[in-house]
Amino acid sequence: MATVSAVSATRRRAFPFGKRALSVVLLAIVVVVDLPIIMMILNSLRRTDEILSGGLLPRAPSLANYQYLIERTPFWTYFGNSVLVAGGATAMTIVVAALAGYALSRYRGRAITGYSRLLLLVQMFPLILTLIPLFILFRELNLVNTRTSVLLLYAVVHLPFATWMFKAFFDAIPRELEEAAQVDGASRIGAFWRIVLRLSGPGIAAVTIFSLLFSYNEYLIASIFLRDEDKMTIPVGVQMFMQQFQTDWGSLMAAATLAMLPTAIFLLFVQKSMVYGSVAGSVKG
Amino acid sequence: MAVRASTLDRRFTERGGRERQRRADLLPYALLLPSIALIVAIVLNPLATGIYYSLNEGSLLRLDGFVGLANYRNLLGMPDFRHAMKFSALFAACSVAGSYLMGLGLALLLNQEIPGRAFFRVALLLPWVIPSIVSIASWRWLIADQNGLVNQALGLVDVGPIFFLSTGDSAMFSVIMIKIWRSFPFMMVSCLAALQSIDRDIYEAARIDGAGRWQSFRDITMPQIFGISVVMWILMTIWSVNDFETPWLLTQGGPSNATENLIVLAYKYTFTRNDVGTGSAIAVVSMIILMTLALLLLRKQRDEQ
Repeated sequence: MATVSAVSATRRRAFPFGKRALSVVLLAIVVVVDLPIIMMILNSLRRTDEILSGGLLPRAPSLANYQYLIERTPFWTYFGNSVLVAGGATAMTIVVAALAGYALSRYRGRAITGYSRLLLLVQMFPLILTLIPLFILFRELNLVNTRTSVLLLYAVVHLPFATWMFKAFFDAIPRELEEAAQVDGASRIGAFWRIVLRLSGPGIAAVTIFSLLFSYNEYLIASIFLRDEDKMTIPVGVQMFMQQFQTDWGSLMAAATLAMLPTAIFLLFVQKSMVYGSVAGSVKG
Repeated sequence: MAVRASTLDRRFTERGGRERQRRADLLPYALLLPSIALIVAIVLNPLATGIYYSLNEGSLLRLDGFVGLANYRNLLGMPDFRHAMKFSALFAACSVAGSYLMGLGLALLLNQEIPGRAFFRVALLLPWVIPSIVSIASWRWLIADQNGLVNQALGLVDVGPIFFLSTGDSAMFSVIMIKIWRSFPFMMVSCLAALQSIDRDIYEAARIDGAGRWQSFRDITMPQIFGISVVMWILMTIWSVNDFETPWLLTQGGPSNATENLIVLAYKYTFTRNDVGTGSAIAVVSMIILMTLALLLLRKQRDEQ
């Protein structure tokens, strides 16, 4: 009897053989799929001549590439610019998208439907078509080569996705709560501010991280508007490295690894809502 | 859901009486105002200007005059435009098919309760969240160099070296492979979400009726996720047609013009060759294609709901 219950207890905790075998298969798949990333990290710890001589693992791992990168290149300037632009764009997106998302969540009507369509248009049209006139316009306004220009564009380009996410989060909050607050004398705005936003903490966090991720990763807009080295964000800076260091694989791999780090951290935070976010982005027209 | 929301809506406004209703009617516009202002300034106004530019000749410094549809007529005779149309289509078709098959396969594996599932899911999402420049830099080392990993591996079996980015066909192949690698995680998480929403009792009933694994996949899983799959295919098509970063960062459209899609071509005409009219016309053509796809998506979503 005792043995039987012990066996069933372990079985409840451990997985059957078939599942564990499947796990091993998946691990192999993960290694193959993530091989470019794994090799990039490994190579960032090797000297370039060692990288070129072949083999997979670092013989004498060192941080020399990182040291070179941080001491001899404007990597931190790029990073600072990225933080500024991504942070500013995210703050702007959050405010504007929360208001619009609330309107989409609580009201119906022709204007709301029209606005929805407009968002879809913004999400789908080719960016390059507006970047051409914007480049000419911003040059006249002396906005080319400013972080403000890029910040503004990011806030708008990310707006549809952020609005749909906000709408979905607000939809999940029962409107009886707002009605109750209004019975107690709160205004509609007051009810939105004190009830809805306060209950949307996780939603706001998710939108924030998605927006940071988008702005941090974006290349095309940044490459058109940020021309001076002291204004460049990480993607444009690393692209410069890729051209300059064409044969210096060690430094390039270190730069790419550092550039990847924040996004890997973001991923850990949003991996749960990633499923959700992608579906919100795809299903909510 | 939608029905319930609209009845609630009516109750809400009716109870408030006329005065309240009028105030409530203005509120949504006030809420939408900031975003509409931004969209008009940063999207709609430049969009109209861009369409106007496509009817003109000129450089980034000044327009040289109205030429009507001449830019569009010229496009038809340009071999690089025709190639870009073909490459955009090939790129989109292969990216959608490749990333969907890979994503669905992995989603089916991840949909089972296996040890380490959470870790696998995060590890497989990495290619999607890292910056495009990082993916390209890491892939370049694998394929670009004579000493890159792929050529080292090929060398072991006495093949190659293959210079993947030096011939048109292999460069196109590389750009598509990397696009699939960057896109499959989206398909994977979306498929996973769709799979998890299927009622498990259906599988149980099918099993009792003697259905095998393949049969329940074909007759239960696929029909259940087909609708959302179509939405994902259209979305991925739109994103692929719209993709600038994968081809540009890997090959800058080369060798010669092998991997130029419409967006790269529009960028090159405008910012490298300083021919704003032609660049804008190419961008307008890609907009027409994308808007057609977006309309398709809208209709599909309406059917879904």
